[in-house]
Amino acid sequence: MKSRTVTIIDYGMGNIGSISNAFNYLGAKIKILSDPDKIEKSNITILPGVGSFHKAMTIIKKKSIDKAIENIVSKGNYLFCICLGMQLLSSESSENKFTKGLGIIPNKVNKFTFKETRNKIPHVGFNQVFFDKDNMLFKGLSSGADFYFVHSYRILPEKIKKNISTTNYGVKFMSSYIKDNIFATQFHPEKSQSNGIKLLDNFLNITK
Amino acid sequence: MIKKRLIFTLLFDKDSFFLSRNFRLQKIGNFEWLKKNYDFSLIASSVDEIILLNVSRNENEIENFCKIIKTFTKECFIPISAGGKISNLDIARKYINSGADKLVINSNLFNRILLNKIANTFGEQSIVGSLDYKNKNGNFIFYSKNGFLKLNINSKNIFINLNKLPIGEVILNSIDMDGTSNGFDFSMLKTIPKNFQKPIIYAGGAGNYKHLLEAFKKKKIDSISTANLLNFVGDGLQEARKLIIKKNIKLAKWI
Repeated sequence: MKSRTVTIIDYGMGNIGSISNAFNYLGAKIKILSDPDKIEKSNITILPGVGSFHKAMTIIKKKSIDKAIENIVSKGNYLFCICLGMQLLSSESSENKFTKGLGIIPNKVNKFTFKETRNKIPHVGFNQVFFDKDNMLFKGLSSGADFYFVHSYRILPEKIKKNISTTNYGVKFMSSYIKDNIFATQFHPEKSQSNGIKLLDNFLNITK
Repeated sequence: MIKKRLIFTLLFDKDSFFLSRNFRLQKIGNFEWLKKNYDFSLIASSVDEIILLNVSRNENEIENFCKIIKTFTKECFIPISAGGKISNLDIARKYINSGADKLVINSNLFNRILLNKIANTFGEQSIVGSLDYKNKNGNFIFYSKNGFLKLNINSKNIFINLNKLPIGEVILNSIDMDGTSNGFDFSMLKTIPKNFQKPIIYAGGAGNYKHLLEAFKKKKIDSISTANLLNFVGDGLQEARKLIIKKNIKLAKWI
């Protein structure tokens, strides 16, 4: 089998090392790119992200990475977004200031509140992810499998029912999302032991 | 539901691996020796997170430690925190760029300027505040700088302050119990206010699986850290994890 090349977008806002280690482990070749012209030519692209939504969107726009992502999506190439990367797909975030997202997921990003969760914030640690049997990202895993989360903001699953997973942290939020060739997880598969490696392997198999 | 976490902490100075007892460091072997004698993939497959601490007294000892972080992040697909010597944003960035997900801050925990800089760059969730304490007949004295600097603050006010800091989690480490294997000092728990907002990692004293189990049963403890490798040799951690899950403690399960 020909080894696949995975492009990881480097915009200074994510733990690129861990993601590239995980895909390396699965036998993929890694390209770390920040040039939008090169990014949009990639067949498999990862949008990582940790930290501030506002800061991330500002950089993405400044570097025209938003355009590259638009082109990836319209061409039907594969995009996988992790943590803040998933949140950036949303319509907008209330973090810091009101910031517009990439608008792929129609829902908004808001901070967990103690009132809704009755839990400590950030939501950090392994938590259960619930999904439908036919969700191809979770093939070989049982609904309720544990994945590693670390975040203070969340997207609620309002109005979206198919091809998502949900997780409960006092409030039920969207922990993953699939739409056509776009995949996103709020949790960190690259930090979720064998469960996460399985999920990334499933993703690579989908891109075949 | 959110699971409790079992965390393993490893101490390094240059390329040597150390154990600590009451904050006195004992050299155990070099990194190669550690890799040869302990199966990291086995340790990593039995714990939820790893903390790597740079305990060198030499302020310039950063690069060797970064290499150690890189080795761990290549082989372990779990969250890795790195701490020690983080006195400025550059060092924080070096640790993160070496693959660390979170930064453990002890000596600079109340340095708001530095904390804000790190939080603005990597997010509040990337900072794990670490506090060491001694128990003097039920009165808690907090320390910083490897237990050298006594902090002039009582336990009531320290938790109010911690709640306001831009940090994601807090490690509470008992200097009295550190490395003794005599079990945790739970008397600190009653001083933690009920509405305390940050996840708590309890450390100092774990010697066997029963100590871990006892600590996991406490409502206020979200995670436990042990640094005592020699107590959990071979498949010790794996076995401990299995036994703890059997006792109905909610720990993550992996395929």
